[in-house]
Amino acid sequence: MNAPVLSAEAVTKSYWLGKREIPILKGVDLAVERGEMVALLGASGAGKSTLLHVLGLLDAPTTGRVCYDGKPVHDLKVSERARLRHQHTGFVFQFYHLIPELTALQNVLLARMMQCSVTQYWKQRKATREAAEQILAEVSLTSRLSHRPSELSGGERQRVAIARALLQNPRVILADEPTGNLDSETAEGVVDLLFRINRERQLAFLLVTHNEELAKRCHRVVRLRDGVVVR
Amino acid sequence: MYRLFLATRYLLSRPINLLGMGGVTLGVFALIVVVSIFSGFLRVVGEHVRSASADISVWFLPDSARYAQLQKAIEEVPNVHATAPRLVHFGLLNRPGEQPPPPPLLGRGALQGGDTPFVFVLGIDPERDRATTALADWLSAVADERKVRDLVHPLARIDGRPAILLGEQRMVTSGLRIGDLLSVSTGRVERGPDGGRSLVQVTAESVGGTGKDAPVFVVAGAYRTQHTGYDGNNALVHIDDLRAMLDLPPDAVQEVAVKVIDASTTEETAERVERAVRRELGYESGSLQRAPLAYSWRERHRGFLDGVEWQRALMKIILIVIMITAAVLMYATLSMMVAEKTSDIGILCALGGSPRGVMTVFLACGLSITLCGIVLGTAFGCAAAIYLEEFRQFVLWLCGVDLFPVKVYNLDRVPHELDPLWILQVAAMAIAVGTVVSALPALRAARHDPLISLRGS
Repeated sequence: MNAPVLSAEAVTKSYWLGKREIPILKGVDLAVERGEMVALLGASGAGKSTLLHVLGLLDAPTTGRVCYDGKPVHDLKVSERARLRHQHTGFVFQFYHLIPELTALQNVLLARMMQCSVTQYWKQRKATREAAEQILAEVSLTSRLSHRPSELSGGERQRVAIARALLQNPRVILADEPTGNLDSETAEGVVDLLFRINRERQLAFLLVTHNEELAKRCHRVVRLRDGVVVR
Repeated sequence: MYRLFLATRYLLSRPINLLGMGGVTLGVFALIVVVSIFSGFLRVVGEHVRSASADISVWFLPDSARYAQLQKAIEEVPNVHATAPRLVHFGLLNRPGEQPPPPPLLGRGALQGGDTPFVFVLGIDPERDRATTALADWLSAVADERKVRDLVHPLARIDGRPAILLGEQRMVTSGLRIGDLLSVSTGRVERGPDGGRSLVQVTAESVGGTGKDAPVFVVAGAYRTQHTGYDGNNALVHIDDLRAMLDLPPDAVQEVAVKVIDASTTEETAERVERAVRRELGYESGSLQRAPLAYSWRERHRGFLDGVEWQRALMKIILIVIMITAAVLMYATLSMMVAEKTSDIGILCALGGSPRGVMTVFLACGLSITLCGIVLGTAFGCAAAIYLEEFRQFVLWLCGVDLFPVKVYNLDRVPHELDPLWILQVAAMAIAVGTVVSALPALRAARHDPLISLRGS
């Protein structure tokens, strides 16, 4: 039996405000299988984004384990976690987080540059560029390759961010309210795109959202309340 | 790859970075140009002083010193080629029957001389001096109308009168021509029967003339070294005439000029000459008597040369302040960049960037600015130093303004000397300063919590 692409086992996370401990996650257990679309629902302050950051190795759990493909990864060195984050997960954020100085194509290519040396990148530059253009074509942005983020609409920016997350062929995409900053019509288009990618690439998604309608379309819904998973 | 790529994009998209680059360029430029001019000036001044000096001068000889005795002792010292006796006195110059001109205004005359009636009267033996100094060149370097008629015997008596040689500039400004008469008013110290000393006026009778007036010399011509201060302040007469004026024995000597064979060991030779002279004159170490000293030409003019050297050192310190100002400017612009890019730091970490990688992006920005500044500053600095004279001529032609009045220092052109070691030192200093001011914001970027920027938006 295959191990889950991503799993959390009894994960807790606390922050300290002076001498006062503020628990955010209180023993979360969660597993995301390959090709599974999981919605993570919860009120503001429930710990959704914190859980996403812990699962994406951007933050370390206070206690508990985070496993990629069954292997514990939460206690690796900083550089190892960075490498794994690059290879295993893709991030999509509510506010897109594109680099304003770069064009849409360059923002996508940046994902490939992250773990390449100059010579490595130079050798594969044509293939990388073709792959990036193909992914941007998949998200219907062929005509926007040389546009900077400031010249793109909100929906287009989010599609660039999705394309960037896809370029490295990650095992799972962690999306933090990907439609939270979009109007409903644009949001619908982005959601359709995410589901299409999930279907075509058999890519696992963990989707943080407030949107019940969106959650219902997912394979599974996980509710988080006060740092605890509620079934 | 992303480090280099992002650093380049950040640099190109932010024109404010040109400020830091301009600052480094200016600092490097100024340090190279100014120091190269000072180095060139120091070299030229050294050459000028050298041209007017013997390799070694033996000073502070006692009244009892005789040249023949010292000549033998000194010429036995290894590396000594030739020696020449000298007497050094002083006097006021004026045309016979005329009052000496008034003293110059304060602050004038010290550097070039020539406009004060007071001179050092240097008694030389032309035959011997020609072997120890560039006397022959000095005499040939002047305009034809002021050139000595008999270059072999430049201080031979003319119509029974003693001859005198003046610096060319003094001769021109005094309106003197060859054959003009010149009084040299001076005095000498005489011992009375009680052993006391008194100053007695030197009269024309002392040099074979008549009357109680000052001795009258005939202007035999001019000489010109490259050291205008020397030319303006020294008048050359035959040593025998000066001995007669001062009522000294025929072989009396106050200074011995020494020519060495190998100039690279002048200092060591000077030490050996000094020991030989002291031994010959019977000086013992620890004696309270003023002992004779042998100075190399550089040691003799150390005060003057060190003054220029100190000015150069002071200028370096002042110019380094420009570099520090540029560094502060660079620090400010890089800090602003880091503050503006916190959102990018978050996404770089999410894409797999490590804190070290983030630090490298901003460090590369700072180092690129520094390196560009160094390259531009070095290129412009070297070009400016080399073509400064052409630039001076151009401005002079265009506006009539002389940016660098070289004649004040008896120079033909603005001197420069590009020292590769100094250029390397400037570059190394700029890199060190650039690295420090780049590293501080870069470290702050590396320590920035990516979650803050990811959540913050």
